[in-house]
Amino acid sequence: MMLRRPRRQWRSRLRPIDAVASGASGLRGRKGRTLLTAVGIAIGIASMIGVLGISASSKADLIAEIDQLGTNLLQVQGGTTIFGEGASLQEEAPAMVRRITPVTSAAAISKLDTDVQRNEFTDERNGLDVLAVEIHLIDTLEGQLAHGRFLDRATSQLPTVVLGSVAADRLGLTDLTGGPTVQIAGRTFAVIGILDPLPLNPDIDRSALIGTPAAIEFLDAEIHPTAILLRAEPDHVEAVRAVLPRTVNPADPNEVAVSRPSDALEARARVDENLRNLLVGLGAVALVVGGVGIANVMIISVLERRGEIGLRRALGATRTHIASQFVLESALLAAIGGLFGAVMGAMVTYGYATRQGWRIDLPAEALGAGIGAALVFGALAGLYPAVRAARLDPADAVRPRG
Amino acid sequence: MTQEPRGGQNLVGDTVLELVDVTKQYPGNPPVRAVDRVSLHVSEGELLAIVGPSGSGKSTLMNLIGTLDRPDAGRLSIEGVDTASMSDAALAGLRARRIGFVFQQFHLMENLSAVANVATGLLYQGTLGKVRRKRATETCRRVGLGHRLHHTAAQLSGGERQRVAIARAIVSDPAIVLADEPTGNLDSRTSNEIVALLRQLNDEGSTILVITHDRDLAASFPRRIALNDGLVADDDSRPLLDSGADRS
Ligand SMILES: Nc1ncnc2c1ncn2[C@@H]1O[C@H](COP(=O)(O)OP(=O)(O)OP(=O)(O)O)[C@@H](O)[C@H]1O
Ligand SMILES: [Mg+2]
Repeated sequence: MMLRRPRRQWRSRLRPIDAVASGASGLRGRKGRTLLTAVGIAIGIASMIGVLGISASSKADLIAEIDQLGTNLLQVQGGTTIFGEGASLQEEAPAMVRRITPVTSAAAISKLDTDVQRNEFTDERNGLDVLAVEIHLIDTLEGQLAHGRFLDRATSQLPTVVLGSVAADRLGLTDLTGGPTVQIAGRTFAVIGILDPLPLNPDIDRSALIGTPAAIEFLDAEIHPTAILLRAEPDHVEAVRAVLPRTVNPADPNEVAVSRPSDALEARARVDENLRNLLVGLGAVALVVGGVGIANVMIISVLERRGEIGLRRALGATRTHIASQFVLESALLAAIGGLFGAVMGAMVTYGYATRQGWRIDLPAEALGAGIGAALVFGALAGLYPAVRAARLDPADAVRPRG
Repeated sequence: MTQEPRGGQNLVGDTVLELVDVTKQYPGNPPVRAVDRVSLHVSEGELLAIVGPSGSGKSTLMNLIGTLDRPDAGRLSIEGVDTASMSDAALAGLRARRIGFVFQQFHLMENLSAVANVATGLLYQGTLGKVRRKRATETCRRVGLGHRLHHTAAQLSGGERQRVAIARAIVSDPAIVLADEPTGNLDSRTSNEIVALLRQLNDEGSTILVITHDRDLAASFPRRIALNDGLVADDDSRPLLDSGADRS
């Protein structure tokens, strides 16, 4: 008899949407297990996103702060001699610095070899410095006073003092009520002002500032500038920085140390970055552990679902279809975890940044990358179980067990 | 149904299945020849039973015919195509379109509805979901499940579950339906209903091969092949005259 039906190669085919649905069907039947397994991934993703979000928010805050403080404040110091002693600057150095065209303001500071005490009966080491300063230091610092006024032409010749924020605190002064005084080298100085904190100049926060004329008159001090603070035009900061050593000390430019206080803040941002990478690494470890958990559950699932696998093979599924079903199931499982994790991480970032008063900076890419990473980890975790499922002998799989 | 009823034995069509000295041996000490040089010819529209005691190799034979397993020796062709040269993926394609399975333990997806379970019979043909559901609904009605379409498999009785499994096997309009102990888990009354359903489907044109250890059940089929220790002991077709009288 002739064959009526033409011989043809029958092909097995699974629509992509049905492949995803097959992957999801295994999860729908095991909701409790699915949620518990997703928790591991959720924790990993949440901690990574939380860390990224918090550090991004904190960095955004720090950068805003640096922007506000300006990066054009420079500090010149005598540096150290080859004998390791602190060198002071030459008398004429401040005037020479002011002569550099892009320098908008400069003020010399001389550290005096004495200390400041609350009254004559105390003699404690409080770590506070006494500085003889020029009156326009306040303009160079762009500083603000919390209380009172800064030194002016008149008061810089009188036994008056302005305290840095930390110095005031250590001396037990919160404001100027009652006209407080302090003792410097056995002399009484009236406190006429307290400075706001200066993020770029923590050393001035820790100092008592008196006028240079007053230092000469009342303390018999010899004035040798130890540092010069200056502001340069923002576009010429690097140029100014380059010419400063030779200007200040033409004979020995190497002995001059020029620094930019805002660099310290930027370094702090970089330190945060290291810490962030460490924490993100820990999050990645949690993710790997979560992935191993998924792999475990998927292996158990393959063992339990021999019958289903055999049935699907009988219905025409190829090995590839079976493998893709389990990889997709595993990836979906992880994506559920990733989604929960992203939401948790975003909430943690929001809560923390709000409490710190930071602006919230949660990069959308971080959220996307988090869920994407979960998907990839899930798919990888599902690979081995999927291969085991695909390798099951279909004849064996449909046979009743036991 | 639009399909024209065709008599099981009365209209002998094309060759659907051909086995020539098919042998399957399981390793062991001594090795077990579960299927031993079985030769068999099944034409379109046939309804036959393979009957034999436990361990006689029935399930092994069905797995071979269903291409879930490959013979160690001999030739097996389906609709004239030799399966030996086909790749694993090509055999899967053959199963997806030309072979329907009914298992003793049903193998249903418990949390899916009757219709959804039947629709999985078309899943690996790449049929659109909408079309799958439509055809599955029609097939459910055809096997008498019109009143249980949206019950989940877990909510169905044993007989209803087996009807779902049968509907799933025929929804893709395969060349042959293979049923391994389709009544093995059912009481005698339900068994009779399932056998009646298989006969009805055969009348409507399906080629059906039933495997059973139950001689009485096999006796109600137009053709019986007795299997013993992997060997065909008897191939008995009832005279054509009888075939009509047996239907009730
Ligand atoms: N995977 C296997 N490995 C080794 N031996 C097997 C395997 N599967 C089946 N056998 C053996 O092959 C023989 C035939 O088994 P098969 O399952 O085909 O019998 P059956 O006729 O279906 O029996 P039953 O009526 O109990 O289902 C038996 O002796 C069985 O022990
Ligand atoms: Mg069996």
